[in-house]
Amino acid sequence: MELLEGELEQIQTEVGFILRKYEPGREQLLPILQEVQGKIGYLPKEAMKMVAEAINIPEVDVYSVGTFYNQFRLNPPGKNQIKVCMGTACHLTGGHIIMDSFERRLEIDEGETTGDREFSLERVACVGCCALAPVVLVNEEVEARVRPTRVDGILLGLGKAMPVTSKHQKEEGDTIE
Amino acid sequence: MKISRTVTITIDGKEYIAKEGQKLLWTALENGVYIPHLCGIEEEEKPAAGCRLCFVEIDGFLNPVTACTQKVKEGMVVRTRSKRVDKLVGTAFELLMSNHRLGCARCGANGRCELQKIAKERGLKLKTSRLRSLVPEVPVDESPDKFTYDQTRCVLCGRCVWVDHHKAKIGAIGLVRRGMSRKMATFGETAMADSSCTQCGMCVEACPVGALTFKEK
Amino acid sequence: MSNPAVEKMYRELRDKAVSKAEGMNEKPYVMVGTATCGRAAGAMKILETFRDELAGHQVDAELLEVGCLGHCYAEPMVAVYKPGHPFLCYGNVDEGIASRLVSDFLVGDDPCFEFAMAAFEPNDVFPTFADYPRGVYEQKIILADCGLINPEDIDHYIARDGYLALAKVLDMDPGAVVEEIKESRLRGRGGAGFPAGKKWEICLKAEEPVKYVICNADEGDPGAFMDRALLESNPHQLIEGLAIAAYAVGASQGYIYVRAEYPLAIKRLHTALDQARDKGLIGESVLGSDFKFDIQIFQGSGAFVCGEETALISSIEGNPGIPGHRPPFPAVSGLRGKPTIINNVKTLSYVPHVIRNGAAWFRGIGTPNSPGTAVFALAGKVVNTGLVEVPMGTSLRTLVYDVGNGIKEEKAFKAVQIGGPSGGCLPESALDLEIDFDSLQHAGAMMGSGGLVVLDEEDCMVEIARFFLEFTQKESCGKCTFCRLGTKQMLEILTDITKGRGKPEALELLWDLAEDIKTGSLCALGKTAPNPVLSTLRFFRGEYEAHINEGCCPSLMCNELISYRIVPEKCSKLCDACIASCPVEAVYTRPDMLKAVDLEKCVKCNNCLVTCKPLYDAVMKVTPPETGEGGDEN
Repeated sequence: MELLEGELEQIQTEVGFILRKYEPGREQLLPILQEVQGKIGYLPKEAMKMVAEAINIPEVDVYSVGTFYNQFRLNPPGKNQIKVCMGTACHLTGGHIIMDSFERRLEIDEGETTGDREFSLERVACVGCCALAPVVLVNEEVEARVRPTRVDGILLGLGKAMPVTSKHQKEEGDTIE
Repeated sequence: MKISRTVTITIDGKEYIAKEGQKLLWTALENGVYIPHLCGIEEEEKPAAGCRLCFVEIDGFLNPVTACTQKVKEGMVVRTRSKRVDKLVGTAFELLMSNHRLGCARCGANGRCELQKIAKERGLKLKTSRLRSLVPEVPVDESPDKFTYDQTRCVLCGRCVWVDHHKAKIGAIGLVRRGMSRKMATFGETAMADSSCTQCGMCVEACPVGALTFKEK
Repeated sequence: MSNPAVEKMYRELRDKAVSKAEGMNEKPYVMVGTATCGRAAGAMKILETFRDELAGHQVDAELLEVGCLGHCYAEPMVAVYKPGHPFLCYGNVDEGIASRLVSDFLVGDDPCFEFAMAAFEPNDVFPTFADYPRGVYEQKIILADCGLINPEDIDHYIARDGYLALAKVLDMDPGAVVEEIKESRLRGRGGAGFPAGKKWEICLKAEEPVKYVICNADEGDPGAFMDRALLESNPHQLIEGLAIAAYAVGASQGYIYVRAEYPLAIKRLHTALDQARDKGLIGESVLGSDFKFDIQIFQGSGAFVCGEETALISSIEGNPGIPGHRPPFPAVSGLRGKPTIINNVKTLSYVPHVIRNGAAWFRGIGTPNSPGTAVFALAGKVVNTGLVEVPMGTSLRTLVYDVGNGIKEEKAFKAVQIGGPSGGCLPESALDLEIDFDSLQHAGAMMGSGGLVVLDEEDCMVEIARFFLEFTQKESCGKCTFCRLGTKQMLEILTDITKGRGKPEALELLWDLAEDIKTGSLCALGKTAPNPVLSTLRFFRGEYEAHINEGCCPSLMCNELISYRIVPEKCSKLCDACIASCPVEAVYTRPDMLKAVDLEKCVKCNNCLVTCKPLYDAVMKVTPPETGEGGDEN
């Protein structure tokens, strides 16, 4: 993935700022990567290189950690993040059908981001709301008891243009935070 | 100089003198008793114990145990073969082979490959009939001048990564991702030549199979 | 070595907290359950409503955020206290009910019994929780205060004898503390049920100046959430337990390893730790004694395998969470090579109670070999989902039918899945099993982390087994051959079966692989991964055979083995709801106005069935699937 102009400098500034807060040492690796992702939204290669240098371990070791854990992302996420819970209770109540519906509507597979970077779709193991299954996290807000018919409503609410009902309201767009 | 005490252990009915505290796998191998193994590194204090091939029976243990993790003790009684050991080793080997691209004739490790050796020693087939093939479709990395890396032949023993980190002290390669996606790769999964690899060749020498092989001159 | 300074300091803290609590009872207060489950059901909106209404009516009442009462099916839940009335709990509260509670109850004097679930204490006007079957069978120890105290106010915990056990142990010899836990026969609640006291003893005896205690809060079971509820509802209980463990084994640094996916739990833990530090309950000199102890929160980055002790340690040390060979056990050589105790959230939460009430009290609850209570996350097709705490030895039947109030929609019970990906499915014949660590293991399941999912006639056992195996397969670290490749081979076979491509000899191979993976894997994740498959093969082999031999899914769950049909006799002809619900235009109107499904186009999303069900119930699933023009019968 190519970085946009100015993006590299921005990453360097952000990561440099984060690194100053930590004592050097291998044990800081996960907390640092968590903070980097929290700030930048993913782990750019340049950031991982800087972290490796700061705590004095091979770059590939940072990469090993970055690719091992579910939490870390190597590519920028979509503006709206949809996470479908795939825990036991959600699975039993049709979580996979909800996932299928999102995949169909967004025309991406789970783990992917739409071409316009508006939406990314992920699965989460269990968000711990089993009694309210099936559950979808829309930009970290929990949507409980989601039915397949609700999928379009969620996407419309986030400003997604629908092929059939195209008369959505644009101003409904951003609901983040 | 450190004086190491010795102990007497029994392997398959024969007594052997062993260095106390040494891991059983290395005692056996030093004494010419073959136990299948891929991931073992003698110098490493904490064995990876990942390949699951060095199972043996030790008196006092309920189930077969891995020889690479057991320190020899005075009076230890070991059997390298039993019905249960053979079944476990057989299945582990079969699983590894289901994920390994065959074609020994065209493999640089033909003749010195540990997989071939295990098959021969234990009378196992290289080609599995009851499991399906899980060999990934990945091209061979021919980018280095001296060697090639064929991920489809890698058994994930991690020996290359260990020598890279601890002997060559380069840190060019690592085991990345996890589960079925786990693989030996460089930072960012680039071609070897585009990484910090110095092509010292130590990892190629450490590879027990045909994943890393020298190019023919 | 009695320490009067400790006693004095504790008494001062407690007196202050108690008088604050008594002061609270002098005027009305409203508690809103704002744990994650409550929030998902809309608790934050309810909290806002109360805030606005209280201000609007100028009512002098305290508004508090509390944790989870465990009745997830009734979220959002609130509790309203007004002097002179019983302390009442209200479930399924919406904004209308919330404003009525303010205007009618707090301003007026009508407690709105029509919306009330139960009272918290016995009274003459309204039944309490103990008057319902669930209350009869439940016995709450670690969940007792959850949802009744403000997790962000340490005084609430202290007023209920919180940190008394810590003050008590500071007067004891560490060996005596370990002895007390051993005596209690408290077993680890994280899965296998290893005796906690034994673990502590090994660590205590290790001659090392530096030791660590770690709380494993990396709850990753895809159907369990009790650790999250405990962290969000009563964080101090755990902190006290961890401090006691540290004192007993001689550690001065503790860690709480908590899933990063639990942001609210992390926030409340941070607040709790700050408050405990402020009060001198952790820090340089715990309660003025010479015991020094502090706790750091470590956020797990999402890897189920990190529930395994050695993987968890590896993760804290900045590495991928890959398990290592045991022994050495962490109690001998753990974090940074030092003796380390790792206990689950629940295990540590019991510790203050055991110390306060004594080992004999604890042993008096539950079964001889598994004393105490069991906490289950009751989910699936059961009416009253939620967190329940029952004595060990309670039968599955009681759990499902009395505590859980039976199966939803009066469907037929099929099985319970206990223990998540490491556990197994138990059939109807096992309903009278009295559950504890050993009986479950014997029956082919496992206590695991305490997930208990009830399955009914519409749940396909092959699919359940496939689901859990897919989970462990995805979560396998990939180091060891059996787990990485063995579970993948098994998953491929199961997937084939659920798609109707299974071969008759597959079942034997499945069993054979499962046995070898169980024996041959390096860590507990791999060793227990085959359990869901083994237990379903044992008890529900017929379902596997129906998939393989007849190409049908008797539970109508496996998409590849079903198709949709619209029953002409039930279809109204005039309603187009099914057509509107279809995302792919597969449902159409036939010339005779009846609706039908084009099976070529149908993606089996279930929308039409769900939509039609309350209207005419005309859409049905059939197995084996029909082909071609399906419903077009003319």
